[in-house]
Amino acid sequence: MSEKKIYQLLELSLWVLNPLILVLAIYNQKIEPGLFLQWIGKLHPLVLHFPVVFGMLIAIYFLFFQNRRFPLNTEKLLLAINAFIASGVVICGLLLSKQNAYDNDLINLHKWGGVAIALLSWLLLYLLDLKISFKKYLALFFLAILIGSTHKGAQLTHGVNALSFPQSPATQTEHKSATDSLSTLYETSIAPVLSQKCISCHGVDKIKGDLQLNTPENILKGGKHGDILKGDLNKTAPLLERIHLPLADEKHMPPEGKMQLTSDELNTLTKWLKGGASFKLKLSQLSPGDSLLLMAKNSNPVSNAKFEPKGNLPDLKEFNSNYCSVNYLFHGSDEVEVNFFQGSFYNHDNLKKLEKIKSQIVNLNMQGMPLKKEDLDIIIQMKNLQSVNLNSTKLDIASLEVLKSLPGLKSVSICGIEFDEPGINKFLEHARFSELNVWTKNGTQKQLEKIMQKYPSIKIIVGDNLEDQVMKISNPTIEQDSLIIPTHVDVKLKHLLKGVVIRYTTDGSEPDSIKSQEFKEKFRLTSNTVLKIKAYRAGWKSSDVVQRTYYKSEIHPDSIKLLTQPDPQHKGNGSKTLIDYDLGENNRYTDKWLGYRDSNMDLIIGFNQSKPLNSVYFNAYIEIGAEIFPIAAITAQGSEDGKVFKKIAEAKFPVAQKDDPSGAKTFTCNFPKGTSFKYYKFSVSNVKSMPVWRKDRKGKPAWIFVDELFLN
Amino acid sequence: MREFLEHGLNQNRRKFLSKLSLGIGGLALGSLMVPGIFDGKNEDDLFSNVLPHFAPKAKRIIYLFQNGAPSQLDLFDYKPMLQKMQGEDLPASIRMGQRLTGMTANQAKFPLAGTKFNFSQHGKSGAWFSETLPHLASMSDDLCFVRSIYTEAINHDPALTFFQTGAQVGNRPSMGSWISYGLGSENKNLPAFCVLLSKGKGNGQGVYSKLWSNGFLDSIHQGVQFSSGEEPVKYLTDPEFINRSDKRAMLDEISALNDAAYKNIGDPEIVTKIQQYELAYRMQMAVPELTSLQNEPESIIKMYGPDCLIPGTYAANCLLARKLSENGVRFVQLYHQGWDTHGNLPKEIEGQCKDVDQSSAALIKDLKQRGLLDETLVIWGGEFGRTNYCQGALTKDNYGRDHHPRCFTIFMAGGGIKPGVFGETDEFGYNITKMPVHVHDFHATVMHLMGIDHERFTFKHQGRRYKLTDVAGNVVHDIIS
Repeated sequence: MSEKKIYQLLELSLWVLNPLILVLAIYNQKIEPGLFLQWIGKLHPLVLHFPVVFGMLIAIYFLFFQNRRFPLNTEKLLLAINAFIASGVVICGLLLSKQNAYDNDLINLHKWGGVAIALLSWLLLYLLDLKISFKKYLALFFLAILIGSTHKGAQLTHGVNALSFPQSPATQTEHKSATDSLSTLYETSIAPVLSQKCISCHGVDKIKGDLQLNTPENILKGGKHGDILKGDLNKTAPLLERIHLPLADEKHMPPEGKMQLTSDELNTLTKWLKGGASFKLKLSQLSPGDSLLLMAKNSNPVSNAKFEPKGNLPDLKEFNSNYCSVNYLFHGSDEVEVNFFQGSFYNHDNLKKLEKIKSQIVNLNMQGMPLKKEDLDIIIQMKNLQSVNLNSTKLDIASLEVLKSLPGLKSVSICGIEFDEPGINKFLEHARFSELNVWTKNGTQKQLEKIMQKYPSIKIIVGDNLEDQVMKISNPTIEQDSLIIPTHVDVKLKHLLKGVVIRYTTDGSEPDSIKSQEFKEKFRLTSNTVLKIKAYRAGWKSSDVVQRTYYKSEIHPDSIKLLTQPDPQHKGNGSKTLIDYDLGENNRYTDKWLGYRDSNMDLIIGFNQSKPLNSVYFNAYIEIGAEIFPIAAITAQGSEDGKVFKKIAEAKFPVAQKDDPSGAKTFTCNFPKGTSFKYYKFSVSNVKSMPVWRKDRKGKPAWIFVDELFLN
Repeated sequence: MREFLEHGLNQNRRKFLSKLSLGIGGLALGSLMVPGIFDGKNEDDLFSNVLPHFAPKAKRIIYLFQNGAPSQLDLFDYKPMLQKMQGEDLPASIRMGQRLTGMTANQAKFPLAGTKFNFSQHGKSGAWFSETLPHLASMSDDLCFVRSIYTEAINHDPALTFFQTGAQVGNRPSMGSWISYGLGSENKNLPAFCVLLSKGKGNGQGVYSKLWSNGFLDSIHQGVQFSSGEEPVKYLTDPEFINRSDKRAMLDEISALNDAAYKNIGDPEIVTKIQQYELAYRMQMAVPELTSLQNEPESIIKMYGPDCLIPGTYAANCLLARKLSENGVRFVQLYHQGWDTHGNLPKEIEGQCKDVDQSSAALIKDLKQRGLLDETLVIWGGEFGRTNYCQGALTKDNYGRDHHPRCFTIFMAGGGIKPGVFGETDEFGYNITKMPVHVHDFHATVMHLMGIDHERFTFKHQGRRYKLTDVAGNVVHDIIS
């Protein structure tokens, strides 16, 4: 095959390979290479050194051999071979990257660096044809990417420190657990903070200011300004000073923009530094109440190891139902939490199904489920359970003994489960968990104090018990809203707390806890009644008296006529609105209300023959904020012929107050004894001039809204 | 010129296109290895599989929103300096010409008003409480105060919208909707996001359904507002003569029809509708069990105060919030209106505190005694703060305060938060001097506690990826335990 044929073949294949690289690189997360392709991927380390060396030679050739050049065709062939091998290596690499879990940042840099090399090599092929002068710089650029990207590759296979200068073996400090009292304070509390917040700049990889904070020796050595722990006489130690400078200060450490010390970490470091910064001080040498010891025990340094998601965890769908949700704690974790909901739908089979994943379950919430012994038998098989919520599960404390066999259990909630002192004592004996929630309606802090002292290692949360505190009970409510008694009305009273006794009177007297009638189911009213009700319950103060006046509406006029017309927006169903026995609701925009503002409401009612009346009631709506005021006055006149009227009575009502409550209210005008006419004329007047506190609306007339009149 | 170039490159259009066809072959070859590359799904759809991003510290949120902006200076942020300088003008060096609302911008003087209430310190952190909050003060050791939160909006509606949705204009999803979208409902018989409203006697400001809107998210994530009457969810009982199995049959038929319509039209809202019918059906069973007070022992009723027996009060909502949260509702949002104390502040704030003090404290206590506080984040606060100077006339025991967005106090409890007092304001309580926390930072922190990296939690809408925190927000690690 001629040189030219080979070149053409290579060039054409590059047109296929490079787009392929792009697809594989962009969709790297999603590709699923088969077994054969996985094997191809493994060729990456085998072939990668060819284009590395080849590429370097090419770069050097372009940089230094400007004058003694090969013929163009040879150059092109060499470049094409390089580009072809590079593309192949990149494709292998992309396939390989799916097979191992690597550090995310490194693999990304290496991946895109590799893609860049392949594309640049391809591009060089065409640039060669152009007579351009910056080939040298291009070659330099190419070389830089080549070195950078392959270095990342080396770090991937041989570790981050692949090419860094070897360190003395003592650089890694082993972190000991805080509970081990033989470990030093430095190991448990100081080193973790330094390694988390400082050594990224003052460690092995970077050594800013000649300071390394990774080992006691290096810390003692100090930085370019000398000792950091002691400093000069009469001056604060530089380390102490730097961490306490305000954030905005240039010398503040860690510098602005980096992860800052939390206040606890700051406290710990400060105390340690002020206490002489000893590397040998053991936890066991600290007094039990020493704040440093307490902090060391509480400190929970964030692990530096990156969390590695477990690949391909099984789907949990089969365990989930409407009444049981089963989920991984978070994405990539294999620990599972389980919540059951709605006790009335509890099904033992849902719990039984979980046996398949019993070792993965760490949190279990069965609050409110009607559990039995068979359920507990399954629960105690979940050997890795850390927290269990059995609030209000109707189990008894003796049966819960079995929970103690769970080795990793930390927190137990059994609120609402009744117990006595021996019961809880037995439950806590040899228990390994560290937290217990035991609130019940009978247990109190006092009763459990002794037990708490006996088991100091268990945090027992009892909660408040206010059973004995005496409070005033809330008011009872009346179920119906209507105040009118057409022929009769059945009244129902209600209180949301169970065990409440509601007593009532219908004669206007105050309800009495012994003598007054007790409410049962319902009672019937048939005439004008002042109803007073009050709620009582043992252990509570009795409620306020709730009062309501009912009106019997027996008398129905034969005719009714409005003399003044209501506002066109609020004209209801005309005059009939007032005598339809239908009260308006708290929505004044229904046609059950008549609204007046620019005039009084004047009306005449007529009877076929003279009718004796005692009083008239108008039911009106009040909402001060919307300028709907109470009725100002009612005047009543009577006539036998419907033409000449004579004044019967007048009632005036107090002016509204700013914070009067909204709602319907009845206004009454009583007549002198023996009043009897064929026609009655009423004039219901509104407030003509609103008081000053209505601010910009003062002096303007107010609305009245009336929905019904009753005669008696 | 073109010929030169073509010759130099040894390339022209025809050659280029013919080689390009090979490139397409290369692309096609690559696409074989990427399953599902052409089925039109983008990575947003995969969200439900990757959340939570990391181990969450809180699983549920109860947000006790004090609507109208409670005065931090009369409740938590004690400034004796204001009492000392009572009536003197606010120094210009403190105000620094910063913006005021239209309500006081024209005032000739800005007389400083010290609080009328006595303050005392409580708990290990020594947090200050005004005498109006005795119950909350007793819970001091569980509370995490941020005295240095600030917002950008100066009026109620934009500020409230900003707090709830991360933007001052409407139409973005609410915090609760984001959480519902990201984490879903724990209990499939209840909505993931519930809203409860109550009204105090103080000067009130409106709350609107846009605050619990799903925005551009699926409407299944909208907040479900419970009504404040005796029946929090209306029409739960079936009509007479219709039993459960008839109802089931009816729903099956309807969803078959809807399904057919969806296949025909493809409108995602139809799917939402089907899901909503199903949820409503299950809620019929779950809600009555939940809202009934019959199973609550008397001690609990007494803890929240007898007001909790009156539906629609803040106390009743707090108790209901505990029960919803306990039953797996991710986000319970309460609003209590009436904190907008422009005038008559001492009297109004006393009334408001009486409404919320006992029951807010009871909620935290109740969660704690049930072992739920560790996994439930309780947030208490308003949309901004109130000024250190008086709005209107300043008398010996009456004053008012205008809106102040530059610093105010909120507190949180439970769910991975570190109890204590964080942040600081100057001695006039006007500017922040330590640890400023922007509303975006607050959102980022809350998301973090729920196991969500706010920067990776996005939704693509109209060509742009949206986040609750927009393009800002830093997690405040100092307040996380």
